[in-house]
Amino acid sequence: MAIKNLFTGKPMTLQAKFTIYNTVSKALIILVFVAILPVIVEKIAYDHIDRRLTARGEKVLRIIQRGGIDDIVLEQDCSFESYSILKEEFVAIYPILKPSTKKPNIEIKNESWSIEGERLEHRIFRRQFTYDNQLYELNIGEGISNIEELKSTIQRFSLWIMLGIISISIFLDLGFVRLLLKPLNKIISSKLKPVPSPASFDFTSIPSSTFEFHKLDQRINEMMHKLKDAFQIEKEFITNVSHELQTPISIVQNRIENIIVEGNAPDDVVIRLTDSQRTLNRMSRIIKALLLMSKIENDQYIKTDVVKINELLEEVLEEVDDRLNQKNIRLYKNFYDDVELKPCNKALLFTLFSNLLNNAIKYNKQNGSITITTHQVNNKFTIEIRDTGIGIDQGEQVAIFDRFKRLNKNEAEGYGLGLPIVKTIAAFHNIDIDVTSDPEVGSVFTLSIN
Amino acid sequence: MNVLIVEDERSLSHEMEIYLTRQNYNCDVAFNGKSAAEKIHLNNYDFVLLDLGLPDMDGLDLLREARKKGSEATFIILTARGEVEDKITGLDLGADDYIPKPFSLAELQSRMQAILRRKHGLKTNIMSIQDFEIDIQNRTVICKGNSINLTKKEFDLLHYLALHKNRVLTRMQLTEHIWGDVLEDDYESNYIDVHVKNLRKKLSAQAPIEWFETVRGVGYRVNA
Repeated sequence: MAIKNLFTGKPMTLQAKFTIYNTVSKALIILVFVAILPVIVEKIAYDHIDRRLTARGEKVLRIIQRGGIDDIVLEQDCSFESYSILKEEFVAIYPILKPSTKKPNIEIKNESWSIEGERLEHRIFRRQFTYDNQLYELNIGEGISNIEELKSTIQRFSLWIMLGIISISIFLDLGFVRLLLKPLNKIISSKLKPVPSPASFDFTSIPSSTFEFHKLDQRINEMMHKLKDAFQIEKEFITNVSHELQTPISIVQNRIENIIVEGNAPDDVVIRLTDSQRTLNRMSRIIKALLLMSKIENDQYIKTDVVKINELLEEVLEEVDDRLNQKNIRLYKNFYDDVELKPCNKALLFTLFSNLLNNAIKYNKQNGSITITTHQVNNKFTIEIRDTGIGIDQGEQVAIFDRFKRLNKNEAEGYGLGLPIVKTIAAFHNIDIDVTSDPEVGSVFTLSIN
Repeated sequence: MNVLIVEDERSLSHEMEIYLTRQNYNCDVAFNGKSAAEKIHLNNYDFVLLDLGLPDMDGLDLLREARKKGSEATFIILTARGEVEDKITGLDLGADDYIPKPFSLAELQSRMQAILRRKHGLKTNIMSIQDFEIDIQNRTVICKGNSINLTKKEFDLLHYLALHKNRVLTRMQLTEHIWGDVLEDDYESNYIDVHVKNLRKKLSAQAPIEWFETVRGVGYRVNA
């Protein structure tokens, strides 16, 4: 599962992840260290004490062996006890009647020892030995209250020192990560930002001593170079095709015009020339339409206009007003909401709506109606153009936006590029387009702007 | 009016020359950028009709150069390149109009007239056809003191026919002028007929209009 920002739900930056990882991992190390530190301290302290006690025990036994027990056992009951002034250390020897079978001969353990009525925690070295057929028990003790103190002191100290070291280390890590990721951040900010076309891409290479970043930058540049070249080649191709096809049309078109103007041709020839002119015009329009779509797809149009949809619709309606009147079509405008589209290309959007409305008129019935509804629902702005025309068969609805699909087979002319143009312009502006239609009832074209 | 046609396609420049000469323009032709630049430098042209795709240089550079050298001619860019930036750059460089190829010669002439009117404020802003007066400035038609209420398209249609009076204009030429460069999926010449029908109805209500002729199978003509 990807770690995402808890507050925004968006993916986090690499630097933020590094920071969190660093902090958490180091905090864990501190916790574990501080938790096991007392155990280690205790172990070391006991180790020391135990060795010390064992050595002392050996020493006492050596003294007894050398000088006899009478030298030190002065008491009536043959026992001996000696304390240091603070009762932190003591040596005690007691005669015992019979050896304990349960206890080992030598043992070291913690015990509460009563010295002159005061009970204190001690580490006790206990050993049994025989002297003159008498069994004795040697106890050498050392106070351990200071170990607890030592434990908490070391724990406190080490906690502060660790915190200090880790703070410095996190600080240094952050600086380093920041420095390390600088080229990557620069690649992201300058190479991965959206550009209107590959031509406006910034090809300046971003210096980095990190192999991966260097490679990444290099590859992005190479890819964009290829893309730029492809776009350029297509652009030149479009320009050339346009020039090569439109120029001959232009020549013939103008020649026909001159022949008609000169007035020497017989009437029937003029009529046929006029027809030829129409045919040429049709061809030219097809070329223009195809080139228009190619140019849009080639990102040759710039989006710098700001357009209010309702205002634009009014402008288009003014243009088609005569056509509406000619077919006596009633127009209903339900402009509930408006939206400002920016950046956009106004001329293209004009063509989009003009094509849709002209279709709504062209395929409408005499005395029919067109209803235009604009409204905002949640974050979506929709424009609905509903006509009372001949409609589109269910089977044909998917194909209406395809190039060169003529729907109304009875039409003598027409080449069905109006809707493909609409779709291309819509896609260029990230506008979704949808159609629903009932044959003989009418069609509804819905544009959704997110 | 002196016109320089800068066009490397000889057939095309030839047709333009024939048409404009008939309309009483003095035409000169240059087939490449170099000779065009020389001609612009040496002569005072009212119009330079400039093709952008010249064999030896870009037409836009020629325009830039000519403007730098102080040419005050009216430049109209005629191009088949169809590049989106061309229009913007051309107009920025001081071209007065931009007409994509193919265009009709009638349309070219009407654009030239429009520029003349705009630039020099032609004295004759009113065209008369018998009882009718077409006021180009105010876009109104007046007959015997009565103003006739025409739609925008009806006015454009009448004005265009009057501008090319005594010449037949085909439905295609009229459509091109009225609907301009709007790319529709098809053009229906029928619309022109309906416009003409409505226009005639409005005009004939005021005075006889036998000057408004239908040329069968071709188009319409205003005889004056």
